[in-house]
Amino acid sequence: MIKFRGVNKWFGALHVLKDITLNVEPREVVVVCGPSGSGKSTLIRCINGLETIKNGDLVVDGQRLGDRATNMTELRTEVGFVFQSFNLYPHKTALENVILAPIHVRKIPKAEAEIAGREMLAKVGLADKFNSYPAELSGGQQQRVAIARCLCMRPKIMLFDEPTSALDPEMISEVLDVMVGVAEEGMTMMVVTHEMGFARKVARRVVFMDAGAIVETGPPEEFFSNPKTDRSRAFLSKILRH
Amino acid sequence: MLENFSFRTITEYLPLFGYGFAATLWLSIVSFAGALAVGITLCAMNLQRSQALKVPAKIYIDVIRATPLLAQLYFLYFGLPRLGVVLPELFIGILALSLNSGAYVAEIIRAGILSISRGQVEAGIASGMTYFQRMRLVVLPQAFRVTIPPLLGQAIVLVKDSALLSLISVSELTRAGQLLASDRFMPAEGFITTAACYLALYYGLKTLAASSERWLRLRPTGNLK
Amino acid sequence: MIWQQLQSLIGSYPLALRGLAMTIALSLLSLILGTLIGFFLGVLRTKGNRLIIRVIGAWVDLIRGTPFLVQIFLIFFILPELGIELDAFTAGIIALTNLAACFICEIVAAGIRSVPTGQVEAALASGLSQWHRMRQVVLPQAMRVALPPLVGQYVLLIKDSSVVSAIGLTDLTRVGWLVVQRVPNGLLVFAIVGAGYFVVCYPLILLARRLEKNMNAAHGEVQL
Repeated sequence: MIKFRGVNKWFGALHVLKDITLNVEPREVVVVCGPSGSGKSTLIRCINGLETIKNGDLVVDGQRLGDRATNMTELRTEVGFVFQSFNLYPHKTALENVILAPIHVRKIPKAEAEIAGREMLAKVGLADKFNSYPAELSGGQQQRVAIARCLCMRPKIMLFDEPTSALDPEMISEVLDVMVGVAEEGMTMMVVTHEMGFARKVARRVVFMDAGAIVETGPPEEFFSNPKTDRSRAFLSKILRH
Repeated sequence: MLENFSFRTITEYLPLFGYGFAATLWLSIVSFAGALAVGITLCAMNLQRSQALKVPAKIYIDVIRATPLLAQLYFLYFGLPRLGVVLPELFIGILALSLNSGAYVAEIIRAGILSISRGQVEAGIASGMTYFQRMRLVVLPQAFRVTIPPLLGQAIVLVKDSALLSLISVSELTRAGQLLASDRFMPAEGFITTAACYLALYYGLKTLAASSERWLRLRPTGNLK
Repeated sequence: MIWQQLQSLIGSYPLALRGLAMTIALSLLSLILGTLIGFFLGVLRTKGNRLIIRVIGAWVDLIRGTPFLVQIFLIFFILPELGIELDAFTAGIIALTNLAACFICEIVAAGIRSVPTGQVEAALASGLSQWHRMRQVVLPQAMRVALPPLVGQYVLLIKDSSVVSAIGLTDLTRVGWLVVQRVPNGLLVFAIVGAGYFVVCYPLILLARRLEKNMNAAHGEVQL
């Protein structure tokens, strides 16, 4: 579904992605973790073209990024992206946020989109918040609207860029619960997160990145209980200490 | 010597001031509409990647901002006939005000658009919107709200600037004051009445600006930090 | 024809120099006086007693609400009626200084209000006197916020000085007006006049932009 082969990327002189090779199968859930600045956000931002790659191959849903034949706009409708900072449209209600792209990008009739939008918002537990503006919602609620906004496009792939790290601790689980639900329905997902409970519950693989390179991959149980490299051990001891 | 202050003369000249007030009001409205048109065009040019559009807009804005309106007004007033364009003073005045305020309006709109966070644009990109869809659905509706208060501020500046049109003998408020001052040698009566009329316009616009700000605050849009 | 006009224009350069000198003298003098008075009023506006705050606020509103041209006429024609004899230059200086002081007062007051109360509390807690709190803690921080608009205000002041030509002062704009009576080429004459203002104002505009950029970089919020 997502295939990286020898992908490199620089920000100026900074080598942010080093020779990345990674395969994500359909219906697979992959958690990406690593210290800050390790390139994990950049990695998933490349998949829907928010960042461009310098060289190597990146194939998403059978389409090679950077090819002239690849229509990025079309590809992006198949790839949902959930941001750390939610990025809800502040001038639109929750429901309007959810149905904006389906109406204007997918060209779905408004009435139909509204039905689907209500359904999606109900699914993430916000049936009573259709007409609330983002500023009236808590962080956890906003992030759930953001997830519903992606789901409403019926994507084949969902990408999550640290979806819970801007949230107050008591709101993290309501968002993770929604994400677990999405995973259990068989969505192909790549999630940048340090939430190990989430990784244990639904991830098939954990990818550990450091300094722009993939250092280690493996099933979550194995990665957490028996990390193979010094760098992953050091990282895990830091995040598990508390 | 202001004990001779003559309210009776002011009453006599009231129709003239009424006419001047109306003239200032409508010529300001027309000029502001012109300024919006000029400003939106300049701002659209300024936001393009193409240097051929960007550079002329930037130069225009800088030149307008670095020279006095009065010099610009005289430039058109004494210069246009030279090009064979003979226009009534009123048109020249409205043209000068529109061209001058347009540069400031362009900067206000640009600041409004740039104040929309990168994340908003990225959310649009990620959901597959085209550049124009992102502008129309995400950026401009938000920028619009941000720009209303400073645009009303610019409207206040424009109304006051329109006083300079009296120097090319356009009949408006300040001209009415000048007439009273010179006909009857009563500058105090003339210019105090003029000032009072401008203050009325100023407080009207200021109230409008305050209520628009309150209205925008009440609308739950809240900038997400 | 153009050649003759150019010659005639070159012939009027002493007049142009006098005009430029007048514009600079007017701007500089009222800039200095206006800044001093504006700062004083700005501090009073935030720290003075309620009556003073009201009076300053009302005066500032009065000045902001009326065209500068009308203010000049009021000062030039009405002060003599009150028995204060003054020439056009003094009237121009008074009008410009008053205008500058009012706007600078608002800028300084906004700068002072932008300093977080925690800073004042910290200064109070360490026992600084009111004067020292202002001088050492509040004003330096307020200045950083106030500086870019202050420079922008100077540009406005220089441009507004052109309006005093209406009471017959021979400044740069008035020189243009005089020359255009003899050399009937308004485009050329006022392009040169505009260039005169441009070389003074544009560097200041660039300075204001630079200061603003530096300030935003220093106080930059994290953009998400």
